[in-house]
Amino acid sequence: MSTTNGMIGKSVKRVEDKRFITGKGRYTDDIVLPLQTHASFVRSPYAHANISGIDLEVAKTMPGVIAIYTGADVAAINGVPCGWQVNFKNGDTMKEPKHPLLADGKVRHVGDPIVVVIAETAALAKDAAQMVMVDYEELPVVINAAEAVKTGAPLVHEDVPNNICYDWALGNPIAEVDQAMEEAAHITTLEFVNQRLVANPIEPRSYNAFYDEANEKYTLYTSTQSPHLIRLLLSTFVLGIPEHKLRIVGPDVGGGFGSKGDHYAEEAVLTWASKNINRPVKWTAERSESFISDVHGRDHVTKAEMGFDAEGKILALRVKTYANLGAYLGTFGPAVPTYLYGTLMQGLYTTPKINVDVTGVFTNTTTVDAYRGAGRPEATYLLERLMDLAALEMGKDPAALRMKNFVPPFDGVNQPGYQTQVALLYDSGNYQGVLEKGLKMLGYEDFRRKQLESAQNGTLLGVGFSTYIEACGLAPSALAGALGARAGLYEMGQVRVQPTGKVSVYTGSHAHGQGHETTFAQIVASKLGIPIADIEIVHGDSDSMAFGMGTYGSRSLAVGGTAIVKSIEKIIEKGKKIAAHRLEANADDLEFDQGKFTVKGTDKSISFGDVALTAYVPHIYPADLEPGLDFTSFYDPANFTYPFGCHIAVVEVEKDTGKVALQRFIAVDDVGNIINPMIVEGQIHGGVAQGIGQALFEGAEYDSNGQLTNATYMDYCMPRADDFPMFETANQITPCPHNPLGVKGAGEAGTIGSTPAVVNAVINALWSGGHQVKDIRMPLTSERVWRAMQAPVNE
Amino acid sequence: MQLTGKQVLNAAPAQVWEKLMDIDTLARIMPGVSSLEQIGENSFVSTLQIKLGPVNGSFSGNMQLEDITEEKNFTLKVQQSSKVGNANAAVKVNLLPVDDNHTEVSFDGDARLSGILAGMGQRVIGGVANTLTKQFFTNLEKELAQSAS
Repeated sequence: MSTTNGMIGKSVKRVEDKRFITGKGRYTDDIVLPLQTHASFVRSPYAHANISGIDLEVAKTMPGVIAIYTGADVAAINGVPCGWQVNFKNGDTMKEPKHPLLADGKVRHVGDPIVVVIAETAALAKDAAQMVMVDYEELPVVINAAEAVKTGAPLVHEDVPNNICYDWALGNPIAEVDQAMEEAAHITTLEFVNQRLVANPIEPRSYNAFYDEANEKYTLYTSTQSPHLIRLLLSTFVLGIPEHKLRIVGPDVGGGFGSKGDHYAEEAVLTWASKNINRPVKWTAERSESFISDVHGRDHVTKAEMGFDAEGKILALRVKTYANLGAYLGTFGPAVPTYLYGTLMQGLYTTPKINVDVTGVFTNTTTVDAYRGAGRPEATYLLERLMDLAALEMGKDPAALRMKNFVPPFDGVNQPGYQTQVALLYDSGNYQGVLEKGLKMLGYEDFRRKQLESAQNGTLLGVGFSTYIEACGLAPSALAGALGARAGLYEMGQVRVQPTGKVSVYTGSHAHGQGHETTFAQIVASKLGIPIADIEIVHGDSDSMAFGMGTYGSRSLAVGGTAIVKSIEKIIEKGKKIAAHRLEANADDLEFDQGKFTVKGTDKSISFGDVALTAYVPHIYPADLEPGLDFTSFYDPANFTYPFGCHIAVVEVEKDTGKVALQRFIAVDDVGNIINPMIVEGQIHGGVAQGIGQALFEGAEYDSNGQLTNATYMDYCMPRADDFPMFETANQITPCPHNPLGVKGAGEAGTIGSTPAVVNAVINALWSGGHQVKDIRMPLTSERVWRAMQAPVNE
Repeated sequence: MQLTGKQVLNAAPAQVWEKLMDIDTLARIMPGVSSLEQIGENSFVSTLQIKLGPVNGSFSGNMQLEDITEEKNFTLKVQQSSKVGNANAAVKVNLLPVDDNHTEVSFDGDARLSGILAGMGQRVIGGVANTLTKQFFTNLEKELAQSAS
């Protein structure tokens, strides 16, 4: 099959950007339905409290109020379900307390919804909601995961002892790892916090639900990453309505970063209420609500130890993590700190013995779930911090230490994939390659010379490395099922050729900023030899497409794109039969190239458009062939894909203030084959910005009462463009051997690789001035860095 | 949130004490108080109007004076609720004679904020608290000056 019209590998401008940058995007909040009503949620101001009374009398009399519902009204409805199951080490299933749609007499985090008020306008609903009087009896609060497991800690759920959702381990038996550690010449130990982050997509969550009485059918417009997943969970697991009587539409969605991958209580409440009041109900989060009710990310407390032999070869890795899951389980919540974290502990290294032990913990905080990278940034942070710190402690070069421990190059075709100690089989890799390229871009030797000179002048210059790997293209269903996923993780792609040769593609991969409408169109244009203008990519409507598992885990191109390719192959195969009949030739003698079916070695040909028309106007047509040209394919990947790369940060730390100036940031990413280099670069830039955001700026701070103290943009520091130097990006291409596009995924790479590079650079800068600091808690604010420098100096 | 402050006032401890224990004076000198009504011995219901950055908050709730040691110290307990969140505070107020005509008034306490109030800008709220403290002392000084004249 040909890919010759040059559309693959070309930086085609994003077709969706015209509507986005001209304000013509259509987001959920833009959708106004006839007889529209609006909802406002009364949320808990306390992190943990019994509700001793709810007084609705005044609120009911407020202007424009249509209905008010409390937890009692929805008590008979199932709670919000969890999509993944993680087992205790002893085989017991995880603790999965009910997550009620509205609080059931008890609130468990600030922002927990208690009452919904529905009124004629959003302002009237909000006014009335403020008149709802809730009486609370405050209860003791637990915030920190490592504290929550201690005896006597307050219980978030009475029936979950020690707040432990699960304890889980992966890798080699701990005794073997302990033994290997015994034999180590050097052990680097790091105790650290991977702090909690708020996703902050630019579009707040928004839902609009209505019930069509005539057809007994519900519709929910929702700012989600996964329309079909929401349909499955909402219809079957929550409301118990037949799946075919619920339509989910995810229109334009302004970013998700994982936080819109969850099924939220508000979606269910609105859908349920829309039937009760027989009018459409809309709710759009205010930013202050987003901060306390969107799922958060990260929040690990970890002790990690890496043992080395005298030459610097890694012998063993031992990890203990307390993962904060928040008050309730998110859709992917339990899986993020286990299957997406523990499985990445091999990194790029040949570490022979690994044991990772994770305790998932409930606390009186907002639910923690996937946030760009989801588990993999936490794993990468751990490994890459250890590597740079070990190099400093052992007096070795951090780049050379990595080279010594890298898994040697393998393409997954001529050389087999690499089996890790932690359940994964890497597909293909050339880890030396990305590091060498990064060092070259940096000008490593010159930099070290400059660093030495600077140190003599009292300037603290530092370089930090991060060589990461991620498991993307989620996921082979059989493996995911074995790991505890309660769904398959394939994707659907339908290619419908219209009678005039125009093509509509229906994909289960939802787009919320990734540029699918361009990248997918490039694939179709290339494979069918038609212009991009003749192709429409349709996504996000459960009534339009057969199915879809949604967008997360850098899976859209590798899994969703491949499903489209499979349908294109079927289109061409059928097209050949139609063309052969028209050309009075044998289908096997035909080739398809540049949008034409040609009898090999002749000038006899028929265009793709003609074949399409023939398929729908089958006057001259094979007797044994159905009319039409429309195929649907499901693709279940054979393996995860494993993008990898090398990120390098150069910083200068101001001695007197601790201020960190990021001078250079180099990202060499290997995401397999690239369809649109501009979009890949854009994804890397955005991801790197978010990763540096974690290192230097962001962090959700709870006080001891469980109040999120920085729940506004005045206090939660989002990175801005002027915080960064121009990123220096490059690619290496090691194709994925197990999907036809050879692609691996690029959506999360930047976030996964960048954070430890920056922190390592700051630590390195401090060591260059004699401050032998092991760790500074992120974000590395001037104050924290300055305090770290006040420790005694080792000359 | 920690609440601390101190100021030396041009009055003897007995005079300062008298002002602080008088409900009408208190209603005048406490910033933002729109009503203060005694409902029992040393307990009051109050309405406050306080502007916190972008949020204009109307608070209502109770206040109590506890652990009273005549002319020396007392604890002010405040429970206020509003549409933007709730505030609970316990503040110990100390009077220390500097000399016959001067008293150092200091306070030390903790305020627990919840709801939007807690999430929006502790720095803003800290600044507001400082401003309110300053206003309180300025008002108290005025009251003392007026009674002296």
